[in-house]
Amino acid sequence: MNEIINIAINILLDPFIQTILKIVVIIFMFVMPLATVLTLMERKWSAMIQDRVGPNRANLPFADNFRGRGALHIAADALKSIFKEDFIPRGADRFLFTIAPYFGFAAALSVFAIVPFAAPIGDFTFQITDVKPGLLYIFAITSLGVYGSVLAGASSNSKFALLGGTRASAQMLSYEVFIGISLLGIFMVYESTQISVIVDGQNTYWFGNLIPKWGIFTQPVAFVLFFVAMIAETKRAPFDAPEGESEIVAGYFLEYSGMRFGAFMLAEYIAIVGVSVLMVTLFLGGYHIPWLHLWESAPQALVTILQILKFTLLSVFFCWLQLQIRWTIPKFRFDQTMALGWKKMLPVAMANVLVTAIIILLAN
Amino acid sequence: MEELATENKGQNLESEMEDQADASVMTIEIGPAHPAMHGIVRFTTQIDGEEIVDMIPEIGYLHRGFEKESENSKWIQITPYTDRLNYVSPLLCNIGYSMAVEKLFGVDAPRRAQYTRVIMGEISRITDHLTCLGAAAMEVGAFTFFLWFIKGREYLWELVEEVTGARLTTNWTRFGGNATDIPDGFLGELQERLEKIKDILRECDTLLTRNKIFIDRVKDVGVLSKEDSISFGFTGPMLRACGIPYDVRRSDRYSVYDDLDFEIPVGSVGDCFDRYLVRMEEMWQSISIIEQASDKLPAGPIAIDDRQLVLPDKKQVYGNIEGLIDHFKLVMEGHQAPAGEIYMPTEGGNGEVGFYLVSDGSGEPVKCRVRPPCFNFVSAMPAICKGGYVADIVPIFGSVNMIGGELDR
Amino acid sequence: MELKVKTVNRIDGFQEALYLPAIFNGLRLTVRHFFKNLFGSREVVTIQYPEEQRHVSPRWRGRHRLTRRENGFIKCVACYMCETICPAHCIHIEAGDHPDLSIEKYPVVFDIDELRCVFCGLCVEACPKEAIRMDTGVIAMAYSSRNRFDYTRDLLKDTYRPNKETKYTDIPLPKTEEEALPNSRGIPST
Ligand code: SF4
Ligand code: SF4
Repeated sequence: MNEIINIAINILLDPFIQTILKIVVIIFMFVMPLATVLTLMERKWSAMIQDRVGPNRANLPFADNFRGRGALHIAADALKSIFKEDFIPRGADRFLFTIAPYFGFAAALSVFAIVPFAAPIGDFTFQITDVKPGLLYIFAITSLGVYGSVLAGASSNSKFALLGGTRASAQMLSYEVFIGISLLGIFMVYESTQISVIVDGQNTYWFGNLIPKWGIFTQPVAFVLFFVAMIAETKRAPFDAPEGESEIVAGYFLEYSGMRFGAFMLAEYIAIVGVSVLMVTLFLGGYHIPWLHLWESAPQALVTILQILKFTLLSVFFCWLQLQIRWTIPKFRFDQTMALGWKKMLPVAMANVLVTAIIILLAN
Repeated sequence: MEELATENKGQNLESEMEDQADASVMTIEIGPAHPAMHGIVRFTTQIDGEEIVDMIPEIGYLHRGFEKESENSKWIQITPYTDRLNYVSPLLCNIGYSMAVEKLFGVDAPRRAQYTRVIMGEISRITDHLTCLGAAAMEVGAFTFFLWFIKGREYLWELVEEVTGARLTTNWTRFGGNATDIPDGFLGELQERLEKIKDILRECDTLLTRNKIFIDRVKDVGVLSKEDSISFGFTGPMLRACGIPYDVRRSDRYSVYDDLDFEIPVGSVGDCFDRYLVRMEEMWQSISIIEQASDKLPAGPIAIDDRQLVLPDKKQVYGNIEGLIDHFKLVMEGHQAPAGEIYMPTEGGNGEVGFYLVSDGSGEPVKCRVRPPCFNFVSAMPAICKGGYVADIVPIFGSVNMIGGELDR
Repeated sequence: MELKVKTVNRIDGFQEALYLPAIFNGLRLTVRHFFKNLFGSREVVTIQYPEEQRHVSPRWRGRHRLTRRENGFIKCVACYMCETICPAHCIHIEAGDHPDLSIEKYPVVFDIDELRCVFCGLCVEACPKEAIRMDTGVIAMAYSSRNRFDYTRDLLKDTYRPNKETKYTDIPLPKTEEEALPNSRGIPST
């Protein structure tokens, strides 16, 4: 008996197995549930903004028409997309058409690889991997997402999809730039691109223990810029010209149906979660709870739980904020998205870098 | 050479489009089933990258044969069809048609009927603008704006139902009066709902009017000059947005609009932003008209006492042989309109709605022609859109407010 | 009154160019609506349709019904007025002798094809006997078969009750309710 336990412990201590387990836990216990719930919440919350009720009709006929205030719509959506006809238009490139949805999906998921959810306990980190380049990895991986939309647009054999694909590629490539430049300030302030260093850097304080050095306080401009750029990068409203429901119908994923369409949709919601998580990590102290270090006798387990809780709650808040913004303001036109980026955000981001540099220089 | 080419293009665009298949120009079909096409209409659009090079509008997908149908109906039987002409402001078409027939007979509805017509007509104008602006805003992404407007429209349509017995298929006006008077307590309810509408208008104003994203989408988009607007035959908010204060309510002084005080909002540039602002302001003006009209509402009959035109009171029909005979004659033979032809313009939600009626005195119309305002707008779509971006079609077409019912008839 | 013109105010200044103030104002509004509807005073305007019925006005023109006399017979005297005025030509009547001799006629066949009806209410206005009305308050008519839209048997049933006290009868009174109803020719197949 003891042997079995020992073997089990050894397996669990194996870094490779640990990583696999962490991936499974983070994806299936945090990302996927949150993203799936968001698909419903988007509809429910928008309904509340608009004085409606929102979807609440899916029911279980065999269980006394149980409705669960619309929660069953998640299951209904899943069932629907699984059983829908998987349509590939004539003239489409079958191979590219088939794989395109999963590019975006994979890119959206890989953001979570480097995000810490709580403070490490001994050797064990609550982070899949803490790569040295840190955020540079995110820049690299998010730009992979553009392949998804471009390939989908190009392989669909549809003019609207093609327009959407070109728009998506232009928009995502340019907003890469602003994401990078807007974060330069953060790198300078915390003197690293590694996530764990940045997060720990946010656990220091100004004026004794008064104000935590959160990213939002050290880099308020970058906060706004990065948020905007990330929304644009994920092609969410108000920057959803590549999808452009009202003019090019659905843009690059116009011809998709069934599970592949589902993959696009889910990738979008995962991206929302990804943006929120990054915002919390970079600008709101990550998992660190401010002033908690003053309570020195705090039990380790409680601290970890509180940290995970804080992280999750703030992430949910940012998800909510993104949806709230999406239902409040109209969309940009495609060229205006680009103009906003190159003509307005770029100079501001540059100035931000300059001012940060000067302040750091003077402070030293 | 240059000129010749453009001329050719106008006549022979379809083949031209095929010729250019190898060039950088791409032809896309916008419509007939497309999210931004409110009615059913098709724009064969040529684009170069994102820019619109040319466009052919194709209408007729909603043709229901209104005019032919009218030739085979009695005068009164056309009334229910007129409210289907414009499905966002049905009462305005009802009123326009009835006033046209009254003009043919040379009679006027009583004062009370006129005033209630004004009240209900302005309610319809508000519902028209609420729908138009809401839909246009929704397509540039402001979905919340749309649903709040639709909420406001619902308040008004319940009032319409209270008076006419239906929300859309009103069939409320008759020749020489109205079918029903406003019910008791209606004016109080109306005032309450108008307050709600005002709240919604204020909220939505905050949400959109000063939002730079929205301003960018509509400002200097879809500009059509004064001269072009006039030569295309524009009327209504589209014309007023160019700065021309032409409003049939003022220029023709029909009904009791002369007793009521209101301003005509005009724009200065003639772009989508002006059209939006003009419609917004018109709703405020309509509210003020309704308030004035309810204050001034006179007592009296709601229909003239003319057995040639108006069905006798039910009491007369049940208890009096003459009443029964008049009733019978009017129903069986229909209204005996004198021979002649008239044109009666009224200000619809979208512009000048005119009815041109021809009668040969036989009791059945020879011709009933509608002048729909949005026919001119749609015919001007290529001129407005050319040089813009594909995405501009959305706010432009939203501001055009095409109503398939009256466009295709 | 004189013509008054008002030029609309195109505001597009510096404050707008900042984007954020307007977005912030908008967010304030939508967040207020969000929380108002999430907690407490729900301002939700939609109704849960099949469970919750919309209040319709007393003037609402819904499904037709034929009214009855005090003694139970339908009031309609088959005068064809409604059939004549109906713009959709959807009423079909065939007259027959009424068992009660003082009434003379009643419709042996009375069909309203509600698929063609445009709900204008002109038939109600034209009827000299107040025999046809549209005050049932029925909003939606949705059936799975085309024949159900032919409104004779089922939908006029509640209006007809043969009455034994009728004095002047010539023809034997109908025994069952079914027999007493006007017939239906159904919806003509076109
Ligand atoms: S409501 Fe109008 S269309 Fe319907 S049956 Fe009566 S007259 Fe005919
Ligand atoms: S008008 Fe009235 S009485 Fe005459 S046939 Fe029609 S329902 Fe019967």
